[in-house]
Amino acid sequence: MSVSKCTRLSGALVKQLLDSVDSILFDCDGVIWRGDQAIPGAPQVINLLKENGKRVFFVTNNSTKSRKMYADKMTALGFDVTEDEVFGTAYCCAMYLKTVCKLEGKVYLIGSNAMRQELEAVGIQQTGVGPDHICGKPIDWANVPLDPEVKAVVVGFDEHFSYMKLNRAMQYLTQQGCLFVGTNRDTRLPLEGGKAVPGTGCLLQAVETAAQREAQTVGKPNHFMFDCVASQFGVKADRCLMVGDRLDTDILLGSNCGLKTLLTLTGVSTVADAEAHQKSGCPERQGMVPDYYVESIADLLPALQG
Amino acid sequence: MAGAFGFKGCQKIRGPQIRNLLEAKDFFLFDCDGVIWHGENAITGAAKVVSSLIRRGKNVVFVTNNCTRPRENYVHKFYRLGFTDVMLEQIFSSSYCSALYLRDVVKVPGQVFVIGCDGLRRELQEAGIPCVEEADDPDATIYDCDLSPDVKAVLVGHDDKMTFLKLAKASCYLKDPECLFLATDNDPWHPLSGGRVLPGSGSLTAALEVASGRKATVIGKPSRFMFECISSQFRGVDPAQCLMVGDRLETDMLFGSNCGLDTMLTLTGVSQMEEAQEYRNSDQTTNHSLVPDYVVDTIADFLPAFEELDEQSN
Repeated sequence: MSVSKCTRLSGALVKQLLDSVDSILFDCDGVIWRGDQAIPGAPQVINLLKENGKRVFFVTNNSTKSRKMYADKMTALGFDVTEDEVFGTAYCCAMYLKTVCKLEGKVYLIGSNAMRQELEAVGIQQTGVGPDHICGKPIDWANVPLDPEVKAVVVGFDEHFSYMKLNRAMQYLTQQGCLFVGTNRDTRLPLEGGKAVPGTGCLLQAVETAAQREAQTVGKPNHFMFDCVASQFGVKADRCLMVGDRLDTDILLGSNCGLKTLLTLTGVSTVADAEAHQKSGCPERQGMVPDYYVESIADLLPALQG
Repeated sequence: MAGAFGFKGCQKIRGPQIRNLLEAKDFFLFDCDGVIWHGENAITGAAKVVSSLIRRGKNVVFVTNNCTRPRENYVHKFYRLGFTDVMLEQIFSSSYCSALYLRDVVKVPGQVFVIGCDGLRRELQEAGIPCVEEADDPDATIYDCDLSPDVKAVLVGHDDKMTFLKLAKASCYLKDPECLFLATDNDPWHPLSGGRVLPGSGSLTAALEVASGRKATVIGKPSRFMFECISSQFRGVDPAQCLMVGDRLETDMLFGSNCGLDTMLTLTGVSQMEEAQEYRNSDQTTNHSLVPDYVVDTIADFLPAFEELDEQSN
């Protein structure tokens, strides 16, 4: 593996890199699609990689869809993908609670229906999904009835986020032994149509501040999502490539797990951002410097078609 | 004048020491929740302390981060709870001071988008500050809601009707670097009677800071601004003549310290003696600013000192 970093991937290097890995992990937003439009050439890249015998997985911090919903979107856009190749934070959060926390009990959920579905699929009941408006007086809110079976508070993206939900989460978290898990800390959520709104990171920060407790997050750059893929499919870190558009989540995950890393410029981060981390001399920031970068993952096509 | 001990004493004081303090200071700043009342119940003896101070010609003001009610409501509450001498001019809430900040300091040139309750809006309206009207359809989303073109400031306070849509709108407004970002206070949670708590303005402000990538300017304690408001309304106040009395180390004591005032912690509210001692023993020198000069179990501990002073003058 090359020692130099942040190299533009082109020409013979592309095939060299692809030959050095068996599995490739792709982020979704800003890498294979933007909103509901596939990045031009992306479906062909994915499909050709598979035809060439590579294993392909998708690793996304976006908690608004279940694996099935993602697979359906991918199929509609021309990607040849199956459900079990998709690792979104809704699924990974449920897996984390089941396999790592070994949660027995219910979850108070600030999150989407997708999260509810993924929790139910592993046998975890939740309470809290959907709109929750304030009524009554402050003393009622402070004394809001708590379900005694709730043993964890989980925060993901929730368009119905409200003061009342924040309050309930905080009240549960004052209880001894209540777990606190968040899907991710992304500050903005990319939406269909290319707009961006406040992300899960904002909602999580609100709950953490009120409860004066820090959540354990499951999503990138935490290594758990890679652990999920690796344990289910026997992926070897030194034969694996992470492709993403965000230095502080995708590339950092790759670095944390000993993967090769490729930055694509169709999303959030720029080469200038990467070089700034590299030149900073700060050890903590070096994990955000990718091994390689491309303008778009379509740049891999010539090597795959040739 | 430095604290009577010459350093952050964090010592409980009684009788003679309190008497010396009462003679030395002529400006007393009191927090409200946990200091003079708990919810709808006055702390025993607090009303007598306040009226004794006023009768002796001391200046008494109330400095609270609570932004949920307009000052008139506070006047009524004071009266209801037996504090009969308190007037509007003595009350400084973070909502009132936010209005002053917008009107007099930044002279806001447009509308303000408010995440807060009616009490906050009323203070702004009374100061003549135009607020964006909240008229969203219950089904409105960030795609189809109205965004006012004239918003020049976003102000975040305690808002029990906080929704995702408000957070999204505020972060849209804050994309404009010319749009100001203010918070009434940073308290992460508020205590209610009976040891219960509720999420505070600080938790909502934190969410918006993450969404916008910007830091809010905080009006309330421990920021200095409320002291500047007080000072300008009393035509200059000498910090050396002041005593800040509060129950929360991270807001009241730090506020006093930031403004160069002597500080007194009363143990009838949020913070405990052990916490004050931990800050005092901390290696981080910034934590020392949270340590009170003096500590009392309750402000009713002032009463014996008044009796002694009365006896002396008889």
